[in-house]
Amino acid sequence: MFLFCSSSHSTMQPQNRQQRLAALRDTIANIERKPALAEMRARAFDGAADGFPCLPGGLLQDVCTDAVRNGGASLGFALGQVRTLFTPKRLAVLYLQLAADAQFFGLPYGPGLSSFGLDPAQLVIVRASDMQDLLWVAEEALACRAVAGIVADIGGAPERLDFTASRRLSLRTAESGTSLFLLRYGADRPASAAHLRWHLAPHRSGRKPFDDRAPGPARWGLTLERGNTGQNTREWILEWTGNAFKSLPDRTGKTRQPHPGAPVSLPLSALLGDPISQTG
Amino acid sequence: MALDQQAQVAGLRLGQALADARALLPGLTVLEQDTAFLASAFAEFADWHSNASPLVGVLQDKAPFGDLVLDITGVAHLFGGEAAMLRMVLGRLRALGYSVAGAIAPTIGAAWAQSHFGSSGIIGPEQLSDALDKLPVAALRLDEKQISLLTQMGLTRIGALRSRPRKPMQARFGASLILRLDQAYGLIEERMTPRLPPADHFVERKFFEPISTLEDVLLTMEGLAQDLSQLLEAEGLGGQGFHLFLYRVDHKVMTLSLNAARLTRDAGHIASLFRHRAQRLEQENYDPGFGIDLVRLGAASLDRLEPGQAGVFETDNGAKDIEQLTDRLASRLGPLSVLKTELVASHIPERAARLVPALAQQAQITSAGEGGHDRPLRLLPQPEPVAISAEVPDGLPAAMIWRRQRYRLVKAAGPERISAEWWRSGERLKLVPAERPKPPAPGETPKLLPYTPDLPLFDPMTGMRDYYIVEDGDGHRFWVFRLGLYGGAVHPVWYLHGVFP
Repeated sequence: MFLFCSSSHSTMQPQNRQQRLAALRDTIANIERKPALAEMRARAFDGAADGFPCLPGGLLQDVCTDAVRNGGASLGFALGQVRTLFTPKRLAVLYLQLAADAQFFGLPYGPGLSSFGLDPAQLVIVRASDMQDLLWVAEEALACRAVAGIVADIGGAPERLDFTASRRLSLRTAESGTSLFLLRYGADRPASAAHLRWHLAPHRSGRKPFDDRAPGPARWGLTLERGNTGQNTREWILEWTGNAFKSLPDRTGKTRQPHPGAPVSLPLSALLGDPISQTG
Repeated sequence: MALDQQAQVAGLRLGQALADARALLPGLTVLEQDTAFLASAFAEFADWHSNASPLVGVLQDKAPFGDLVLDITGVAHLFGGEAAMLRMVLGRLRALGYSVAGAIAPTIGAAWAQSHFGSSGIIGPEQLSDALDKLPVAALRLDEKQISLLTQMGLTRIGALRSRPRKPMQARFGASLILRLDQAYGLIEERMTPRLPPADHFVERKFFEPISTLEDVLLTMEGLAQDLSQLLEAEGLGGQGFHLFLYRVDHKVMTLSLNAARLTRDAGHIASLFRHRAQRLEQENYDPGFGIDLVRLGAASLDRLEPGQAGVFETDNGAKDIEQLTDRLASRLGPLSVLKTELVASHIPERAARLVPALAQQAQITSAGEGGHDRPLRLLPQPEPVAISAEVPDGLPAAMIWRRQRYRLVKAAGPERISAEWWRSGERLKLVPAERPKPPAPGETPKLLPYTPDLPLFDPMTGMRDYYIVEDGDGHRFWVFRLGLYGGAVHPVWYLHGVFP
């Protein structure tokens, strides 16, 4: 009797521990994924399998481009996404910039916004004096339920915006339902807890009717470096039609080969680690 | 400038030469006065007196640092009557070691006269003319020249002055004499400028034990915001400007002012605005000194605010949330940091959009209605000079150097010619050119032409810009312009003005 009891105790103990460990792992994984990423998996994105997805609100997106001269392109991409997030109750966009950077990056221009397809009255421009204020404004605006999107120009890799700050922002973004776009410039990728990270490069513009020598509608080349949109493709060439993105076939004339395999958050490991994709 | 009793006994006079004073008193210590310091100290001291009455001013015209004026209309009963109030105000100053004189009178002029040339006391409305008649003319705040002239004429008392005919007096002594006379007798209203922002409604809390930490002040402020909100609600009012006054024990006042985007009496909103402002204050210079013994919260720019009723079919478009957000942001970053675009009907690109504080409720943002032209998404506040080369002088740009980077331009559209707005430039446009004199025929006297003023001709070539949209091989799109024309008076210069998406 005594023996039986003790043996059962010794076998139950590791099982309990394993269960508890598994539960803890699940919890941690939930914390890591939640809520935006988990939500993103669950949500079916609109758009065709190869087309650019209509991304929902509540995402922290890093839009990285190589140089400041692409600032117009990255602002256009962010505002184009914000435009799809407008609802009758969320009609405002905030643009954040350090006051000292105005000449370097340029300020959003009202008539330009209207020709892009956005009402300038919807845009509030905030010029913060330092990065701490800028992050405070971002958080404060995320808490407001009438803001559809926030676009912030981040020059370089400021110390204040480290992984912790970015994680904090990503959690706030996920629970608020407002999207936050951090426009980053430069080749390096600072640590960030963004849900999606894009690499953006401008692309030769489309054809302007009746004038072949004139620049036509804006186009961007986009690579999704991090995160998952539920699509098979990770690279797009987009054209702005005046109120939505249009996905274009790339230069070879056909749409990109979709990457097979299960969607995982890191693209490189997915390709390397999945043997089926290489055999098939 | 004044002498105390000790100095008077020693035989010193005002305006005396320093050498004479030293001869009278060999051991005299002479110090140079720090005027700026004294003036600011006096001003702060004046502010502190707003704990007795909200309207405190400083009369600058006679005394070197001014005279303190308090408008105590409707205030005296809080201190147990005018006499008690005067005693309190003078008493606490005397307790601090100052020698003061003060008077209460229906007009500023009379109070000044009584306090400087009479005894400290109260002049009621009915004794006003009797009391003033007895005082010397210097009590009218006249300048030295007027006083000496009046004394020469034997007019030493104000009463004598008043009975003289006014017109000759005005001709002789200037309009200021009549003005001061009428002001002193209350025939003309004299206004004082209050030093602190006037608050129409205020609530306050006094502390027996002074508080000093910012957190305590903010907690007090939240309580006061509740009180103020109830006060405003009872009268159906809302305020736009809010002021928080912190009275320090050492007789200084700290003021915190802010503006809301729209009329409000929401205690939570007011409190959150002050909290954000205070965070900024804490970083800069929050100095409670020895403590704060009175906190006052006032509302200004009041107007009717009907209680809102939540309707069934109410459209909630989030405008109120956005306004509260911009309020909060502006209260911490400053109103000039939170901006909205206002479109202006102008062809000049940098003039076509203005950034105005989001607080300044613009009535309607007018749409410029220029649909046809492409405009860049980002505009540089200052156009940056670039080097541009083209195949032919007036052709499309082919290469560009901007910020030390070369761009080979493959596409371009333009020019879009934007001319200077001559009606805005200070120059006047001459519509009809002046007649040229004809060469006189031989034997005929030259004809005289009518005089035409030599106005500068408006030159449309100088301020004219030709804008191009250019794109390089990688797809960067820029907005560049050329100032001036080839072959014009000034050499054309190229600038980059904006960046397209």
